[in-house]
Amino acid sequence: MSVAELDADAAQLAVEHCYEQGWSDGLPLVPATRPLVDRFLAAAGRPADEVIGHMPQLDRSVTVELAAINAVMAGCLPEYFPVVLAAWEALMNERAAKGGGWQSTSGPAPLIIVNGPIRNELGFNSTGGVFGPGFRANATVARAIGLIVRNVFGVHPHELEQATQGLPGRWSICIGENEEESPWPPLAADRGVTGNAVTATLLRTCEYVDNRHTTDPELLLGDFADTIGRSGSLIFKHALVGVVLCPEHANLLAGAGYSRSDVAAWLAEHSGRTTGQLARAGKDHNDGAGVRFPGSGEPADDFQRTIAPGNEDRVLIAVAGSRNAGISMVVRYFADWSGNSVAIRAGEAS
Amino acid sequence: MPNAILDPTGRAADAAASSLSALAPRPADLTGLRVGLLDNTKHNALLFLREVGSLLVSEHGVAEVSIVETKANFSVPVDESIVARYARECDVVVIGVGDCGSCSAAAVADGINFERAGLPAAVVLTDAFLSTGRMMAEVQGAPDYEWITTRHPMASLTPDEVRTRAEGLLPQILGTLAKAAA
Repeated sequence: MSVAELDADAAQLAVEHCYEQGWSDGLPLVPATRPLVDRFLAAAGRPADEVIGHMPQLDRSVTVELAAINAVMAGCLPEYFPVVLAAWEALMNERAAKGGGWQSTSGPAPLIIVNGPIRNELGFNSTGGVFGPGFRANATVARAIGLIVRNVFGVHPHELEQATQGLPGRWSICIGENEEESPWPPLAADRGVTGNAVTATLLRTCEYVDNRHTTDPELLLGDFADTIGRSGSLIFKHALVGVVLCPEHANLLAGAGYSRSDVAAWLAEHSGRTTGQLARAGKDHNDGAGVRFPGSGEPADDFQRTIAPGNEDRVLIAVAGSRNAGISMVVRYFADWSGNSVAIRAGEAS
Repeated sequence: MPNAILDPTGRAADAAASSLSALAPRPADLTGLRVGLLDNTKHNALLFLREVGSLLVSEHGVAEVSIVETKANFSVPVDESIVARYARECDVVVIGVGDCGSCSAAAVADGINFERAGLPAAVVLTDAFLSTGRMMAEVQGAPDYEWITTRHPMASLTPDEVRTRAEGLLPQILGTLAKAAA
């Protein structure tokens, strides 16, 4: 069909119809039709009525077909749909995403990390600007997750969703791992899933660490530990945090002999604040139930770790971004990370 | 014939599942009755509920606080087995304190579940969560369900302030649980 034959007026009416139904996250949606949704279902090769998620407090269920309709609306291509399903499954492995996470005052954001050849086949960005916009696969897979929560679970802002402020880019954080420039095996492969796979958790926020003039691995790790240890989002005794390293930082560390788990262990051991520092934020004492409060005179010099001992294996270390500077991202979990990756399984060639 | 636009919600044909036709029958007053407390885990909730329970016993003729439970998951409404346990062990129940997004919605659903089981319930939420409470009541098929609203926040109050808050809300709690208000 030539451009002249496309009916833009009809398209605009259809887009406005979707807004009027309350289905939109604020941006225009692609109206979902039966033939297009069927192409998505064929790409996934899974039964349309298969239930892939349930919100017990609302007794609402997500089926493969409802996920497909929302993936269409998000602007996905049919071949992205297996990635959406894997991302959804990965999130459903997370304790917080199964319960009230989507309704939380924290307004958490899913972090979706894609591994495998599918990144290049479908055009996922894993290099420069990886946390930013500009790539259809990254943008629409993440958006599809947000639309499923909004439309199928019915969690709308100001209604069942109660985010105090929420996160910038809440439904947009989907990154490819930069396997080509990572010194380590792919993240998902390290968790036992080789090839095309998704790893995910929920974030409270992410914040960058700019350190481009250090060649000492411990100074670099110390910079991450300083950011990880800050009190701002710490409300319980401990918190879980990961790092998405830029290739420059990852290679500096690997060159100094650090494996992925060495980096995690170092950060777990060294990230935190003294009781005195935490006292200045009114967070030096925890009440036994795990919630932090202004304290009761504990020694000021005691070091309180951010990441609980024994949780080193829950510190997510991924590699993404361009190799043009030493800028990495600390990813601060909403709750925890299951440590599980999910294989991406496409249907029969459609 | 153009293709129809598909509904992404899956709820186009939602019927009001099992609507709450009426609240549980109210006793004339609370004299000699047993009160249950359901703590939703939020900070200060248990202190608030215990204070309400002891005031009901000391000042309003309630026989005893017969059951106190802390929810395993604040986001999820209590299940039938917990509702049944309360129905066996107490005559009225006080639920609170909703002061977060998912827990407030779940507390409203808890109140509705207890009412359906014939147990008068008083639910306390802070005023920051009116919209999520109302939305959950609609989801539960009880759009007109009422709860008790207290000023936000609750979590940062001192123990003395929590006690004062409990004393202040006591008349409303009594009025919700029994016919004859205090």
